[in-house]
Amino acid sequence: MTSGKRLFFLVILLVVALYVMRITAHGRVEVPPLGNTLVDAFGTVEQAVTRAGRLARDVFTFPFSLVRASQRAQELSERVDLLESELQQAREYQLENERLKRLLDFQSGPAASSHLELAAAAVIGRDPGSWFSTITINKGRAQGIKTNMTVITPRGLVGRVISTTSQTATVLLITDPRSAVSALVQDSRTPGMVEGIAGGAGNLRMIHIPNDMPVKAGQVVVTSGTSRSIFIKGIPVGEIVSVKRDPTGLFFEAVVRPFVDFNRLEEVLVVTGVRSPAL
Amino acid sequence: MPGMVFLPGFLLLALLLQVTVVDLIRIRGVVPDLVFILVVFYAFWKGQREGTFWGFVAGLLEDLVSGHYWGLNAISMAAAGYLVGWFETRLYKESRLVMMVLTFLATVAGQLIYYLLLFYLQVVISPGVALMGVILPAAAYNALLSALIYRRFYRLYLRGWFRVSRL
Repeated sequence: MTSGKRLFFLVILLVVALYVMRITAHGRVEVPPLGNTLVDAFGTVEQAVTRAGRLARDVFTFPFSLVRASQRAQELSERVDLLESELQQAREYQLENERLKRLLDFQSGPAASSHLELAAAAVIGRDPGSWFSTITINKGRAQGIKTNMTVITPRGLVGRVISTTSQTATVLLITDPRSAVSALVQDSRTPGMVEGIAGGAGNLRMIHIPNDMPVKAGQVVVTSGTSRSIFIKGIPVGEIVSVKRDPTGLFFEAVVRPFVDFNRLEEVLVVTGVRSPAL
Repeated sequence: MPGMVFLPGFLLLALLLQVTVVDLIRIRGVVPDLVFILVVFYAFWKGQREGTFWGFVAGLLEDLVSGHYWGLNAISMAAAGYLVGWFETRLYKESRLVMMVLTFLATVAGQLIYYLLLFYLQVVISPGVALMGVILPAAAYNALLSALIYRRFYRLYLRGWFRVSRL
C-alpha cells in the first residue's frame, strides 16, 4: 500500500473506532448477541479464576491474620454485645413508630418498614483499568436482573446495574467517577449529591450541600430516594470525613467514606423489587 | 514450536488475569495493566508496525471483554505501541532500566490519549485528579511491574515464544 492509501485507511479505521466507542457506551445500545455470548462465556472462566485468586490470597494472608486473631475476637465480641443492645433499642423505636403511625393514619415511605426483594450474586470480575469502578456479577437477565436496579450489601450502598447480558451484569460502583447518587445526611436531612472520584483511594465526594445547612464530620449519609433518583430510599452510603466550601463558594462539599469496603466485595445483593408491607 | 500462536495466547491469559486476579493488587484505585505491558514489550522488540497492530488488537480485546466503549483501549494502546515501536532500533534491549522508563512514558502517553477520549465519551474528569490520581500512579505501577518481569519475557522472546503464525 502506498503511504497515502495507508494514511487514508488509518483515518477511516480511527473514525469507525470512535463511532463504535460511542455507541457501545453503557445503555446506548443493547449489547449485540455476539458480544452477549462472548461476555457470558468469558464470565464462567472469570468466575473460576476469581475464586482461585481469592483462595490464593486467603491462603497467603492466613498466617498474618492469625497474629492478632484472639485480640480481634475479643474486640468483635464486645462490639457484638454493644450492637445487640442498640438493635434492641432500635426495635423498640420501630414498634413505637408503628404504633404512632397507626394513630396518625400515616403512610410511610418505601424503606421504612417495607421489605426489599433481594437476589444475591457473586462478584466475578472487575473493570480492567484504573479509571472506572465497575464489577461484574454472575447473575443477568435470565435471573431477572434489570438495568438501574440498586445493588447493596448489608453494610450499605454498592451501586447500580448499568448493563446486563443473559448470564452476567455490570454494576457501576458509587466510587466510579460517572456515578452520582442523590443523598441526604441522615439526622439533619440535608440534601446533596454523592459522586465518585477517579483514582480517589475509595472515598466519595458529596457536593451541592446548601449553604445554610452545614454538615460535620461523623454524620451518616443515606440515599434520598427522591422520585427522580434511581436508587432505593434510605440505604446507608457512608460517613462524612471532612467538609469545606466548594470552589464557587455557593455550596459546601464533603468527603464521604463509604460504609462498603470496595476492596473486599465478594458477594452483593441486587434489589429486584420493593414489597410494600400489608398494613 | 513453529507456527504456534503464542502472542495472542499470552494476551488472552494476561486479559483473564487482568479482569480477575489483578484487582487483588489494586492500590488506591490503581492497577497495572498486564495487557498493556505485553504490548509495550512486543512493540519494543518488533517495531512500530507490529506494535501499532498488536496494540490495537490487544486494546480491542480488552474493550470487548469489558463490554463497553469498544475502541477506547484499542486506540490508546495502538498509539502507545506506535510510540514504543519507534525505539526498536534506538535503544538497548537487554536493559531492565530502559524498559522501566519506556513503560512509564508509554503508559503516560497511552493514558493521556485514553483521558482525552473519555472527554469525547462525555466522561469528564478534572485534569488534576486524572494526572495525580490515575495517570502517574498507573505509569509507576506499570513501570515497576515491567521491570520485574521483563528479563523473563525477553528470554522467552529470544527463544521464539512470541512467534505469531503468519496466516
